[in-house]
Amino acid sequence: MAGTIDFDRVGVRFGEFDALRDVSVTLTQARIGVIGLNGSGKSTFARMLNALVLPGEGEVRVHGLDPSADAAKVRQIAGFVFANPDAQIIMPTVAEDVAFSLRGRGVPKPEIADRVARELEVFGLSALADAPAHELSGGQKQLLALCAVLITRPELVIADEPTALLDARNRRLIIDHLFSERVPQLVLITHDLDLASRCDVVLRFENGRLLEHGDPADIVARYAEAYA
Amino acid sequence: MISLYRPGNSPLHRLPAGRKLLLIGALILAISIYPHTLWTLGASAAIVVAAFLIAGQGLRGLWRQTRVVLPLIVFTAVFQLIFLPWMSATITTVRILLVILLAALISLTTQTSAMLDAIERALTPLSRIGVRADRIALLLALTITVIPVIISFARDIITAHRARGVRPGPRTFVVPLLVQTMRFADELGEALNARGVRS
Repeated sequence: MAGTIDFDRVGVRFGEFDALRDVSVTLTQARIGVIGLNGSGKSTFARMLNALVLPGEGEVRVHGLDPSADAAKVRQIAGFVFANPDAQIIMPTVAEDVAFSLRGRGVPKPEIADRVARELEVFGLSALADAPAHELSGGQKQLLALCAVLITRPELVIADEPTALLDARNRRLIIDHLFSERVPQLVLITHDLDLASRCDVVLRFENGRLLEHGDPADIVARYAEAYA
Repeated sequence: MISLYRPGNSPLHRLPAGRKLLLIGALILAISIYPHTLWTLGASAAIVVAAFLIAGQGLRGLWRQTRVVLPLIVFTAVFQLIFLPWMSATITTVRILLVILLAALISLTTQTSAMLDAIERALTPLSRIGVRADRIALLLALTITVIPVIISFARDIITAHRARGVRPGPRTFVVPLLVQTMRFADELGEALNARGVRS
């Protein structure tokens, strides 16, 4: 079941640049799409959900938690998938990188090994368990990144253009995992309008403002018309 | 010698990482300070070959590791031969090679996470004086992980130069490499935070 994401008059400023201005929205949907031009504020919005960016003004609540005060707790329930999978790999081999996600979560070592083996199986990465993670293809690396997130059984997954660098086959695999039941709530930042249309709600950002949010078909159609 | 781990079930694979580090560390120390004749050097080489065989790496694995460091060994040997008698030069060069091979043997038979756990455990007593063992272990892991990425940046920059028909110069190579590395460091920092490593 999806939790509540609440933004109340939120603003973020980087130096002289207003990355987000006066954003207020309450979201309880399971599949949340975020669209907008480059630099519109959508990635800043996504990063606030995982306490990677903190609000300069206003309040953010993610499943009842305040990211400014409870960053560690927020990151326990919310996983983040970045566009560039290379930067998400921390440990040298595939299995070790997935296991790294469970470190410090109080999971006993034998259970970590079991869960890693099962998760790699689900993602079709079992044969690569001991392979150097950076030698994988781009698609395999992104699958690894998502695998490392889903092994923590997150309540919320934030994915910032997770298919941007992928071929059609790997794009499909990543989307299937993201839209599976294992992801109770998804915030998907994307330039892929077909993908945005599959969500329950779409948010459209422009110049740091939340221009509109609501029915995906309407919002995607207006966005496509504006920039076609 | 970056992340060379080869899965296996040899006695060396099964040996707990901490004990293995101590055992091979002691061998490395002994080879570094003890052999002074061709005979003792031969005995040391035999031990290293045996260790590779016990670890299931075979002579081919031994040669693979030797080939990687061969340029370094040749370079060292040439300098030694210029300044030292041939016997001393040979002994010193072979000792360096044996020590590198033993270090590689640790990587070949130990998963990085097991090695880091062992290092973390060994450093934990130092937490009383403010040393963060977990941070040091993470730093080592990241170093091992990131070096191939930076090498791939360097390769991409060289390829981009070739594609544009120019030769990489110090400025046109180093500046983009630094920029890419810094950007990568930023992204990696963000990913570490996202994965629950507190800054």
